Amino acid sequence: MTALLSIQGVTKRFGGVAALNEVSFDVGEGEILGVIGPNGAGKTTLLNCVSGVYRPDAGSITFDGHSIAGEPPHRIARLGVGRTFQVVKPFASMTARENAAVGALFGASQLALSRAFAAADEVLEMVGMAGKASLPVASLTIPDRKRLEVARALATRPRLLLLDEVMAGLNPVEVDEALEMVRTVHRSGVTIVLIEHVMRVVVGVCRRVVVLHFGQTLAEGTPDGVLRDARVIEAYLGEKYARRLVGG
Amino acid sequence: MPPPSSETILVERPRLLDRRRLRRLLVLLLVLGAVLVLLAPLTATDQADSLGAPQLVDRSQIRILTTVAMFVVMASAWNLVGGLTGYSSFGNVAFFGLGAYTCAVAVDAHRLHLPMAAAIALAPLVPAAFAALVGLPLLRLRGHYFAIATLGTAVAVGEVVKNVDYLGGATGLFPPILHRADLLFLYLMVGAALLAVLVSRLILRSRFGYGLIAIRENEEAAGVIGVNTTMYKVGAFAVAAALTGLAGGLFALWNSFINQELGFSLDFNIQMILMAVLGGAGTLFGPVLGAIVLELLIQNLAGRSDVAVYAQIGLGLLLAVTVIFVPRGIVAFFGGGSRLSVAHLRRSLRETGV
Repeated sequence: MTALLSIQGVTKRFGGVAALNEVSFDVGEGEILGVIGPNGAGKTTLLNCVSGVYRPDAGSITFDGHSIAGEPPHRIARLGVGRTFQVVKPFASMTARENAAVGALFGASQLALSRAFAAADEVLEMVGMAGKASLPVASLTIPDRKRLEVARALATRPRLLLLDEVMAGLNPVEVDEALEMVRTVHRSGVTIVLIEHVMRVVVGVCRRVVVLHFGQTLAEGTPDGVLRDARVIEAYLGEKYARRLVGG
Repeated sequence: MPPPSSETILVERPRLLDRRRLRRLLVLLLVLGAVLVLLAPLTATDQADSLGAPQLVDRSQIRILTTVAMFVVMASAWNLVGGLTGYSSFGNVAFFGLGAYTCAVAVDAHRLHLPMAAAIALAPLVPAAFAALVGLPLLRLRGHYFAIATLGTAVAVGEVVKNVDYLGGATGLFPPILHRADLLFLYLMVGAALLAVLVSRLILRSRFGYGLIAIRENEEAAGVIGVNTTMYKVGAFAVAAALTGLAGGLFALWNSFINQELGFSLDFNIQMILMAVLGGAGTLFGPVLGAIVLELLIQNLAGRSDVAVYAQIGLGLLLAVTVIFVPRGIVAFFGGGSRLSVAHLRRSLRETGV
């Protein structure tokens, strides 16, 4: 498997705090990679560095052979990197369909106006929102807004999709639906980096997981493997529990 | 009750037929009105006089019409930045002033001494270049900061102009008076107004327009879906500046006099914003309607000494009421985008089964 995205030694500091400290890992073409870690581990910061919202202080980020560290967001989007926001950022005065259509006009898609709405319908179908296409954002529920966030990113025709906690705040049934959506998107040929807090999600869809802790890569491997890793348990639950669970 | 429609001009509409028919009617009325208004001044010419035709309008009315057209240009141009992109500029009068001075300097016999057509062609270019230059830093600011910074820029440019001898200093410049040119400038200004509406329409129905609206709705999200936010914002600012500068240039030639107070008038500055907001910011015809309604009110009421004071109060009240109850403007009021609108009332009546 060739690496579609390669992150090498990426560091991002805010004042004296290193939100990311020499983080390195690769994402293979066609993979679903989970990025997990406790609050403040640097997950979203990493995503912001990849999507161009932040400029990393050091390190390199390569997407499909292009060096993208420090490039503006629109150029990275145009190369085929889509992302969602943890706190959804819809275009509030528009309908769901228009939100997705705007995505289809830009990014790697660059469709003509006349074809953008058809493309919007396609991605809304894929995320399970075909029936709600003409609703304004204001009347969408939170889970639907999260789906719309994914739909708009998909409409840009990304090769790599960065999902920032799309399951956070959803109830178990909604999580199952969202998992199905992620699988559907993956089957359509999109490589996915999934930032998550909800363990069940990661175990459910990812073959490989990277654990961040205090801005550093703590562990990397299969979901089962990293979840049994004493350091990971310690990071999440504290030293005492880690000893008890692993029997150390 | 369904949420109030929040669609902008370029979005698809569920009530397609309703709105489209209404729009067609509106456009037809506007075109008819415009044709009548534009033909009437022809009766005020010497030729019409010699033929014994009745004079339908007098010179003061031609002047009012020209002013209305001028404000249509400015309100429509402001709308591209303030309404569509969501950056409320309080300094667009700087572009008007720069356009005016560009024209005045260009035709001046002791300065560039260019023909009038060349001067008019230059009028949009200088303000557009200026907008692109100052837009890069200014458009990094948002909300109040952007408003204050643009206002400050406009005031500063005015002060600089006032202190440059080449630009006439505090006295101003006097482009040559063209005799019997009222009609010429009426048609030129109306042409500029049509151009402003045409450009706005082209932008609204384009990738560029959608990108600007995406920026207004959420700039960060616009960026990560691939909108070059800096280029788009600066582009919109420069187009607005070009149109406003054209209006300013025509004004300077028409008025045969320009100084800092006229070119960088804070009244003009506020009026173009009020017109766009009153008519409907972010829509195509909102600023046009706002400019026509407000300028006619100002000309007919505020200009008269007996009612001027009450007119000012009335205008203020009208604006307060509009912003509170019909924040999306006159166009939304008739198009169903407001709770007080005709369409909304009809809809609620139908739903309650009355």
